[in-house]
Amino acid sequence: MNLEGEHQFKGPRQEVWDMFRDPETLSACLPGKSQLTKIDEQHFEGTINIRIGPVNGSFGGNLEITDEIPPEKCTLVVQGRGVTGFVKGIGHIQFVDQGDGTTLLKYTGEAQIGGTLASVGQRMIDSVAKTMIRAAFESLNKSLEVRLAAKESGGKGVRGSDSSKVNLEKPAEEKL
Amino acid sequence: MAGIVFGQRIPRNEDARLLTGKAEFVDDIELPGMLHAAFLRSDYAHARINSIDVSAALKRPGVVAVYTATDFGDYWKPGPLQVPPPTAIPNSVFFARTLIPISKDKIRYSGEPLAVVIAESRYIAEDAFDDIIVDVEPLDAVTDLEKALEPGSPLVHEDLESNLAAHVIQQHGNWEEAAARADYVVKRKIMVDRCAGGAMENRGIIVDWNERSGEMTIWASTQAPIPLRNSIAARLGLFEDKVRVITPFIGGGFGPKIMTSMPDDVLIPIIATWLKRPIKWIEDRRENFLATTSERDQIHYAEIAFNKDGAILGVKDMFYHNTGAYDPYGMTVPLNTQTHTVSNYNVPNFYTEIKMVFTNEMVVTPVRGAGRPEGVFVMERLIDYAACELGMDPADIRARNLITREQYPVRTGIIGQDFVEGVLDSGDYPKALQKACDMIGYDRFIREEQPRLRAEGKHKGIGIVCFTEGTAVGPYEGARVTVGANGKVNVTTGISTQGQGHFTVFAQIAAEQLGVDVKDVNVITGDTGQFHWGAGTFASRGAAVAGTAIYKAASKIRQKAIMLGSQFLGAPEDQIELCGGRVCVKGDPSRYISMGEMAQRANPTRGTFPEGAEPGLEAVDYYGPPYGATGAGSVAMIVDVDPETMAVRVERYVIVHDAGTIINPMLVEGQVLGGVSMGIGNSFFEKMVYDENGQLLSASFMDYLLPQATDMPAKIELGHIETPSPLNPLGIKGVGEAGAIPTPACFAQAVENALADCGLQILEMPLSPSRLWELVQQSGKE
Amino acid sequence: MTKLYPITVNVNGRIYERSVESRLLLSDFLRHDLNLPGTHVGCEHGLCGACTILFDGQPMRSCLIFAVQANGHEIRTVESLGTPEAMHPLQQAFSEKHALQCGYCTPGFLMSLVPFVETHPNPTEEEILEAIDGNLCRCTGYQNMIEAVKTAAEKMAAG
Repeated sequence: MNLEGEHQFKGPRQEVWDMFRDPETLSACLPGKSQLTKIDEQHFEGTINIRIGPVNGSFGGNLEITDEIPPEKCTLVVQGRGVTGFVKGIGHIQFVDQGDGTTLLKYTGEAQIGGTLASVGQRMIDSVAKTMIRAAFESLNKSLEVRLAAKESGGKGVRGSDSSKVNLEKPAEEKL
Repeated sequence: MAGIVFGQRIPRNEDARLLTGKAEFVDDIELPGMLHAAFLRSDYAHARINSIDVSAALKRPGVVAVYTATDFGDYWKPGPLQVPPPTAIPNSVFFARTLIPISKDKIRYSGEPLAVVIAESRYIAEDAFDDIIVDVEPLDAVTDLEKALEPGSPLVHEDLESNLAAHVIQQHGNWEEAAARADYVVKRKIMVDRCAGGAMENRGIIVDWNERSGEMTIWASTQAPIPLRNSIAARLGLFEDKVRVITPFIGGGFGPKIMTSMPDDVLIPIIATWLKRPIKWIEDRRENFLATTSERDQIHYAEIAFNKDGAILGVKDMFYHNTGAYDPYGMTVPLNTQTHTVSNYNVPNFYTEIKMVFTNEMVVTPVRGAGRPEGVFVMERLIDYAACELGMDPADIRARNLITREQYPVRTGIIGQDFVEGVLDSGDYPKALQKACDMIGYDRFIREEQPRLRAEGKHKGIGIVCFTEGTAVGPYEGARVTVGANGKVNVTTGISTQGQGHFTVFAQIAAEQLGVDVKDVNVITGDTGQFHWGAGTFASRGAAVAGTAIYKAASKIRQKAIMLGSQFLGAPEDQIELCGGRVCVKGDPSRYISMGEMAQRANPTRGTFPEGAEPGLEAVDYYGPPYGATGAGSVAMIVDVDPETMAVRVERYVIVHDAGTIINPMLVEGQVLGGVSMGIGNSFFEKMVYDENGQLLSASFMDYLLPQATDMPAKIELGHIETPSPLNPLGIKGVGEAGAIPTPACFAQAVENALADCGLQILEMPLSPSRLWELVQQSGKE
Repeated sequence: MTKLYPITVNVNGRIYERSVESRLLLSDFLRHDLNLPGTHVGCEHGLCGACTILFDGQPMRSCLIFAVQANGHEIRTVESLGTPEAMHPLQQAFSEKHALQCGYCTPGFLMSLVPFVETHPNPTEEEILEAIDGNLCRCTGYQNMIEAVKTAAEKMAAG
């Protein structure tokens, strides 16, 4: 499955980059009870819960961030395995300074899925992937707003985990 | 040859039980202490296994045992080769790599078993999957048939030099020479894609091992009870009579249930001897798609050489056949393709070459049609493009080249799935073609209706194709017929039944010979404890082969009853007849003995007994044909295509069919109708889709679309021709696969005809609305 | 020990009291707990319709219902329609018109059709097609079922 798209963030590129590289923020983008723990700057592991139609499961796996050129671009490599199948994905992310205080995030990538997930959830995978990505961007947007607001109001909890979690809503679960 | 009951439309003996919920299928059987099995199956299509840790699963309450490959010790080995290699064909190459019952070091298809869990319920067994930790190293999957044979491709079987599973060339005449002198040669690449059997009842098996008596009883939804019994007995080192396989009612076979070397066939009996409790395994629908065999999956490079008068000089067909990860069923499917390409036409020069390829996909074994639809599709498409080249009508070019009535028997020069040269025994192919044209109003449609409809902006098209169906192959079947003291008759035969009506047609054969009511004949099929010689239900052979054995046994009893009647009633044999359950003297209703009394008198408990005689009214007989009987026919259809949605509606469907002598016309029609529905599925709805990683993407009825009632043509019109087969006394041929074989070819022609202004070429099956739309776009017009 | 829930279900006119796990499917409950195996399981995804039963008079897929959801409700299965000696007109018509072959999908078709033939004394082919379109059959091609339903509806209307 091929993925591509873009999203406009209302903030400067360095802010967007910093937020993106913050594991707490990334965790908050994942659906359901997913969570990520940092091993080092480039490596994370954790579980992600995915529901695609009738197939619902938790996938243990890891995320690697490579080819980083901050604050311009990076590549994400994801691998997950669970009882209902496996997921492998690679995404190339670019952060483009629009010159007007906003940043355009562009992504291309591909994902491979297998197991029950593929054999029974096949027809829904495209739309579920798009929904998950859109929800992640909405979550990132909110995160960005909070960070920028905090900065303006005088630095209360700029990069702290608490405030970046306070107004975050988990992305809505994909319903069948 | 219609008799009192033979040849009549008789309602089925088995219906009442099936309709009222009283028929027992394998999952209906409950045994005391029964445990349930579930298979943990691989997600990856190609991978090396590092470890499988089942320790947590063993601790789950309700789990009785969990087995992986190493637990089976010496029992772990590749299963038997169910069909012998094609050594009868000169220079053939075949590498046997039979089914592995459970993965040991390497996984070769998605769905291959990794562990077997035995638990108090299927629910708990599946819960335990969560506890099993599997560590694998994924490998690149082999899925493209042509790339699989290129150097550097990953190898499905690493002990082989390549992924070539078999190479077989057959020919008669000289293609090269024919192509050189022909006025035209047309070439095409044609693809037929995979479909599933899709029986409503999934596979299932129950094994009950009685340690004290050393006997094993198995209930299985199988088309091959006797080979299954023999295979299990051999593996466990038991004499065959210590293993009994009983087939309950079976909810559809369609081919995949012919397998006897599937993981459950091999492992559940072994486990039953270890745990000493009955074990039941019932497949679920996803498993059926993923890990039960399916069929079709070929790529053909085909050519036809012909002259401007429409005479076909030769055909060449080089094709790749996907056997999947293993080849337990030999070359049956591609050999059927070879024998069904030119079979009904006079083609003096024919060259056909199979390259069978291993891939990381599920194994391919016969599904209704079993390689024949592919051959027919290729040939009929070639003929259509030849006709197009010449501006000739498709019906005319066929009529020009069909084998005619006077030519039989016709030696085809091609060896088939029974390892002998195919011989066409009887038929009247031009008559079937003409009748189909007449029934659909072919000329009128082309000349008058279609131009008018086109002017109205409608896209309706017509198709006409011819086909043969090789049936009734050997080796043999047998039967025992017994008249009981109560005058009722038992007919016992080794094959099993999946809904074809054996309980009725076999009763009709016996009833006709013995002069009893069809309802008084009890047919027992597929119980190795009652009859243990035979091969199975496949290749549309049940009625012709087992039916003939029944006929022969019943005839023996008939002769004996007449002889004894002559003695007991004091009349010459030619005055004795069997009717109404009695042995009587013609014209004198007062002189008779009931069949039941005759059976008793033929079995004295005192006195002497004639030398060479056998007691009672019972006979056993066998029948094996020298080669298979060939059915044939023509199909015509009219389709309506919506150019915006690319929905195709089959408005009329005509099938003229010759299955030789008909035992029960109602049941034959049912078989044809059922085959047509599968053929329609294969044309436009059903497709098994694997991605490049060997992942099956269509493992439920959501994605694998069986035709529903509204997808079928409004009315399928059946025409009959009977050219009895000279190969058996009743003249019967098989009919089970007839509807499935020609339908995709006719569908393709009709849709091309409907969209003729697009210059569309349909070189693949199945289609779908979106695929049809793509093809129309690519053809550049409209 | 998994928790069991007491349920009371009226099946084919008889009251059953049982204790079941919450995840037990109604299809499994009927087939294995109540020994009424006439209802068949074809897919467990709710697509093939072989498991169709009447739930308070409405045709429903028993593979998509939990046994606990049937608590306090009325279920009718194919076993309630008739016996081999005394078949329901639908069953009789299916046999006469050869509308079944392997018989596995048949109970689902019958139960889907019972309310239909009771309310459509003179159904058109379109109406019949729509009534059976939710059930899959691999053997018959459906054609003979249409004839069977017409015959049964006529017979039932005639009383």
